[in-house]
Amino acid sequence: MQDLLYFFQQLINGLTIGSAYALIAIGYTMVYGIIGMINFAHGEIYMIGAYTALIAITGLATLGIAWLPVILIVALICAMIVSSTMGWAVERVAYRPVRGRHRLIPLISAIGMSIFLQNYVHLAQGSRNIGFPALIDGGFQFGSADSFQMSLSYMQITIFITTLICMTLLSLFISRSRTGRACRAVSQDIGMANLLGIDTNRIISATFVIGAALAAVAGLLLGMYYGSIDPLFGFIAGLKAFTAAVLGGIGSIPGAMLGGLILGVSESMTSGYLSGEYKDVVSFGLLILILLFKPTGLLGKPEVEKI
Amino acid sequence: MAANTLKHALFCAVVTLVIAYPILGLNLEAEGINVTLAGADTSTVISVIAAAIVVFLFQLFRENILSALKSIPSPLPKTQKEPMAENKRARIESWVLTGIVILALFWPFFVSRGSVDLATLVLIYIMLALGLNVVVGLAGLLDLGYVAFYAVGAYTFALLSQYAGVSFWVALPIGACLAALFGFTLGFPVLRLRGDYLAIVTLGFGEIIRILLNNWTALTGGPNGVGGIPDPTLFGMEFGRRVKEEGNVSFHETFGIAYSGEHKVIFLYLIALVLAVFTALVIRRFMRMPVGRSWEALREDEIAARSLGLSRTAVKLSAFTIGAFFAGFAGTVFASKQGFISPESFVFLESAIILAIVVLGGMGSQIGVVLAAIAVTILPELAREFSEYRMLIFGAAMVLMMIWRPQGLMPVRRIHIPLRKQE
Amino acid sequence: MRTPVKKLVTAVSTSIALLGAGHAAAEIQIGIAGPMTGPVAQYGDMQFSGARMAIEQINANGGVNGEKLVGVEYDDVCDPKQAVTVANSLVNDGVRFVIGHLCSSSTQPASDIYEDEGILMVTPASTSPEITERGYELVFRTIGLDSMQGPVAGNYIASLNPKRVAIVHDKQQYGEGIATAVRDTLKGQGVEIAMFEGITAGDKDFSSLVTKLKQADVDYVYYGGYHPELGLILRQARQADLNATFMGPEGVGNKDINTIAGEAAEGLLVTLPPSFDQKAENQKLVSAFEAKGEDPSGPFVLTSYAAVQLIAEGIEKADSTDPFDVAQALRSNSFQTPIGTVEYDKAGDMKAFEFVVYEWHSDGSKTPVK
Repeated sequence: MQDLLYFFQQLINGLTIGSAYALIAIGYTMVYGIIGMINFAHGEIYMIGAYTALIAITGLATLGIAWLPVILIVALICAMIVSSTMGWAVERVAYRPVRGRHRLIPLISAIGMSIFLQNYVHLAQGSRNIGFPALIDGGFQFGSADSFQMSLSYMQITIFITTLICMTLLSLFISRSRTGRACRAVSQDIGMANLLGIDTNRIISATFVIGAALAAVAGLLLGMYYGSIDPLFGFIAGLKAFTAAVLGGIGSIPGAMLGGLILGVSESMTSGYLSGEYKDVVSFGLLILILLFKPTGLLGKPEVEKI
Repeated sequence: MAANTLKHALFCAVVTLVIAYPILGLNLEAEGINVTLAGADTSTVISVIAAAIVVFLFQLFRENILSALKSIPSPLPKTQKEPMAENKRARIESWVLTGIVILALFWPFFVSRGSVDLATLVLIYIMLALGLNVVVGLAGLLDLGYVAFYAVGAYTFALLSQYAGVSFWVALPIGACLAALFGFTLGFPVLRLRGDYLAIVTLGFGEIIRILLNNWTALTGGPNGVGGIPDPTLFGMEFGRRVKEEGNVSFHETFGIAYSGEHKVIFLYLIALVLAVFTALVIRRFMRMPVGRSWEALREDEIAARSLGLSRTAVKLSAFTIGAFFAGFAGTVFASKQGFISPESFVFLESAIILAIVVLGGMGSQIGVVLAAIAVTILPELAREFSEYRMLIFGAAMVLMMIWRPQGLMPVRRIHIPLRKQE
Repeated sequence: MRTPVKKLVTAVSTSIALLGAGHAAAEIQIGIAGPMTGPVAQYGDMQFSGARMAIEQINANGGVNGEKLVGVEYDDVCDPKQAVTVANSLVNDGVRFVIGHLCSSSTQPASDIYEDEGILMVTPASTSPEITERGYELVFRTIGLDSMQGPVAGNYIASLNPKRVAIVHDKQQYGEGIATAVRDTLKGQGVEIAMFEGITAGDKDFSSLVTKLKQADVDYVYYGGYHPELGLILRQARQADLNATFMGPEGVGNKDINTIAGEAAEGLLVTLPPSFDQKAENQKLVSAFEAKGEDPSGPFVLTSYAAVQLIAEGIEKADSTDPFDVAQALRSNSFQTPIGTVEYDKAGDMKAFEFVVYEWHSDGSKTPVK
């Protein structure tokens, strides 16, 4: 029984991180699906979302507002606004001018932007780890008190539910709304979409904005869950989320979700049963294995090579 | 039209405020045990507002400003200029390069130790960039994990010297060959991958190597790295103040001169120079050989190359292996120069910097790559006062270079014969 | 024979320059190398604060043999690679005395360079025993060793009759070093050690580790490392309802751990150097710090102050600015500093240094336990 509880605990841990990775991975996958570009600066957008959320929370605390739902909602909105704006600006400044050229050029531009943003926040806010207040505390405990107890914290539940809501909203948006339809059209064939009168530039900007908003949500959630933020943590998270996106099939939104969960669970299981030190090796190893046998990822669309 | 521009300009200004004010203007500070928010000092707030105004004006008058900028002649070589005859150009280039190399041989004796140290670092980056140039520039394979081979070269020397007391000269070929082996091994899984997937897998590979180095503490010392890496010796003479290995004599005692830290720095610089020139010459030979031609063919059009009978496997593997070999050289020199290496030196950022050097220099162009390596390594040092802003400027510079001159500093001029117009 | 001529030319021109420069010649450069930025920058702050105060006060009292001390500051971000770069810069800048570095993993590689180039180094915070075990002449400390700190922690835990103890470290020299020392002490006392595991510094997610600790059913956890990771572990442990008392070395005894861990920091045990700022004879110095708005209670403030003072007095006793002579003077004399009487043994360690066990509170204060 104890072993089973332990297994479930690691599973819950994994699904929690996985959900957060999924939120960030969506940003990567949407951008790639539409313009075929890896947005290396996305991890930094996530980090900026976390910082903005913390600024908002601290600001509200100084103003004396203590009601939890208000704090969370205001922080979320502030983080989403700043992140989305940043995402939009990054696209206009660094990616649009180099769109369409040899694929290395936007890549270098993206990496440069990533470095720029990391150091921007570093210079503005200092490089130390800053604590995030634990606004949502407590949770459920399963199992008897004298042996291993599985805990499911409210924070973890919040992360699951928020991710689920975001995913559902996004799917509805993509499948039902006009802009969503336009997004799908642009990702299928950008030239044709242009001919049909869709303003592709606006759609591309919209993609960046949506991805950034989701990353901001992840920033707030993970900041609260883990407990501290610093200017460099966006990069690692971004790399993992990117791995998750590729794992699930880059360009596919359900793929990003699946990839995120798989990555989270594999990390957690490796950490729990083998050793925490090699969990990243397992993640990347998994990625390489999947790409060897299914080069477009799990749910990716097979690339047709036109000669 | 004007109304649209005005709206757009206003929008951009608001965007600037949104992205700048919260992060720059509201500082999170830890006071005692609490985190508080402090408004930034007035000068920051003013600069944020000023930036917004500048953006507003720029967007408003964008057309005028951009056309004014276009009319300024660019000092860099244009891409459409008529190429000189191949022979003449090759000869001029050889003379210029020989001259530079001779200058570089005598230069270190006249300048300070710090400059020679910096020059050695430049040479290391030149070797790395030339190696990556083979993979990315010539063969068109998007390698984001090149730093792994660099690490293999460095750690080979470090570990061999720690466990087996191996000297620099023995470790140099071993490190290079081991790095080449890793390059070969990486080549296999990525044979069928194209474009971005290749990039991701190589990135993953680079990260795996770094994580292994970081966590395999028993072998590699983990995050604490490996220290005590010896300097290269000259026929058994060591360059340190005291002799570390038994049976060796020290350089300054043999020649009866006072000990100076400069000796070992200059010696290492000379070794790095020789290796860098060697790298450049070898790769240049490869470029003229069928191997090199097949790399360029692969880059231009993989399908066409395959239909002409080029083995994709052989071409890709040869590119990875040879590129990695030179990274091994660079790694060994780096380990010796630092005396201490740790996984921190081999993060993804290094791969990105080397890649940036290759793209900056003009993919496939050796001279351009050399110039770019010099620029990227030296410019941050010159702007020492701005050392805090170094990386910020670096990131911004990368973006700007891509927007403004993506073909690089010295784009490769293809040999071509202009078609004569039909009468 | 270029070199002797070049040296002569350099010497002559330097002398001319110095003559012309006037008072600029009578200066002794003291390098201060530590983390100004990065995750453990607040410890660096302590180091810089203490060293700067010492330089100020010594200069106010006439300097060293009439020469003023000049502090030259370098940032090593607590990163071994950066530390090597800093050490090389120091050599290039001609600095001959260094207070630093802070992190053991930075001090170790840097000290290789200093010893080779004849630069005297006094570290006010690096506790790894290896640093003074290599027979170097020019390496000194003004802090105790992990081989002293570990047993203090280990013996304390053993005295509480624990059921099982888990030991976690961050795989770096400092963290793993002290964790090993604690493990050895506990083993010697017959305490059951449930696990000895490493985490990666810079990680944020410790949920798996916490789960493992829960399953191991331990009542004490010793963590070897710095506060950014322990703060997160404490917080995540509390969320997962892990009932164990944590203990850590002086690298976690910092108010920043409260911003990260919040309530979870209550009851944390920490081994720290004794509170030098509480001693009666240091009150004047404490007031001087407070007048500048600086906090003298950090564990490395007064050790850095003492380090500068020792170098200054060493120069005076040796009557020379040659680092080898000063090293000799440091070993053969006894000095009175804010951290007590300091005497050095051959390896460069102080002959006596105590560590005290404190209980940390959620408001950032600490009380000694006994």
